[in-house]
Amino acid sequence: MNKNEFLNEIAIYCEFEDSSMTLETILKTIDGYDSLSVMSMIAFIDENFGLKFSAKQFQNLTDFNSLIDLIGKEKFDND
Amino acid sequence: MIDLRNKRILVTGASSGIGREVSILASNLGAELVMIARNTQRLQETYDRLKKNNHELISCDVTDYLKVNDYIKTSVNQSGPFSGFVHCAGIDKTLPLKASTNKTFKEVFETNVFSAFEISRIICQKGNYNPFHTSIVFISSVLGLKGQIGRIVYSSSKSALLAGSKALALEYATKGIRSNCVLPGVVKTEMISKLFNNITEEAKNSIIYKHPLGIGSPSDVASLVCYLLSDKARWITGADYVIDGGYNAK
Repeated sequence: MNKNEFLNEIAIYCEFEDSSMTLETILKTIDGYDSLSVMSMIAFIDENFGLKFSAKQFQNLTDFNSLIDLIGKEKFDND
Repeated sequence: MIDLRNKRILVTGASSGIGREVSILASNLGAELVMIARNTQRLQETYDRLKKNNHELISCDVTDYLKVNDYIKTSVNQSGPFSGFVHCAGIDKTLPLKASTNKTFKEVFETNVFSAFEISRIICQKGNYNPFHTSIVFISSVLGLKGQIGRIVYSSSKSALLAGSKALALEYATKGIRSNCVLPGVVKTEMISKLFNNITEEAKNSIIYKHPLGIGSPSDVASLVCYLLSDKARWITGADYVIDGGYNAK
């Protein structure tokens, strides 16, 4: 999946309803972003990339781009 | 004074945490232990801390039922029936419902619940237990009573032990077998260290705050378990004992 597909799919999985979200959207500003959505994002990444992150690792993330950096840019298809 | 002399007690999950402390305390109180865990080295470390007796180590997964059955039968033939069984083996999962698949439930229930009752089934066979006083103790959790976000799989597995233990208590009361559950709050174990390493400082503090007496230690739980294993608890069966530093009082 490419980065934009990732953004769409993780938004659906976590039930983020803000349709104006971009890769630059600051995670903590998303309506409904809480500890449960962090758990959901961790589960989504585990299911799709086989990577196990902790909630602690999410503490220092800013936007979706920083999350993509954490996962590893090389794991995404080119847009 | 609690006395566990002349009692053979089977402990699962004996290589760490509550299982290790139960084994150590029970050996100090005179019991002969048969300990099961996957990790041979850590099981040996528990063994090295026991008061010397005719203890046995079994290195295998508690869900490898054929092996567990064979080991128990051999142990009974060689050294006599069991007077106690403590199921401490358990795995934890923190996942939201949407990620809690049937596979996840099966994995957690296999260790936390199915193995508890499968080993109970083996222990409760004629000849494998002491007909005068046998005590089974399941390590449940306060989360078996209370919900917590992301703990649907773990909570439901620990809750399943509560109901199953009561049914077992009724079914085997006339045979001299008692069955009880211990429901700890958060205690300092490797499992909790792992959890604390994975959650934010805020979430960690929130868990600690929920325990008015602070986080417990495995030895706090071991004392209660050994009491339930002893003849002092001869009139106690089908009961649930919360030991949680006040978590459940809120």
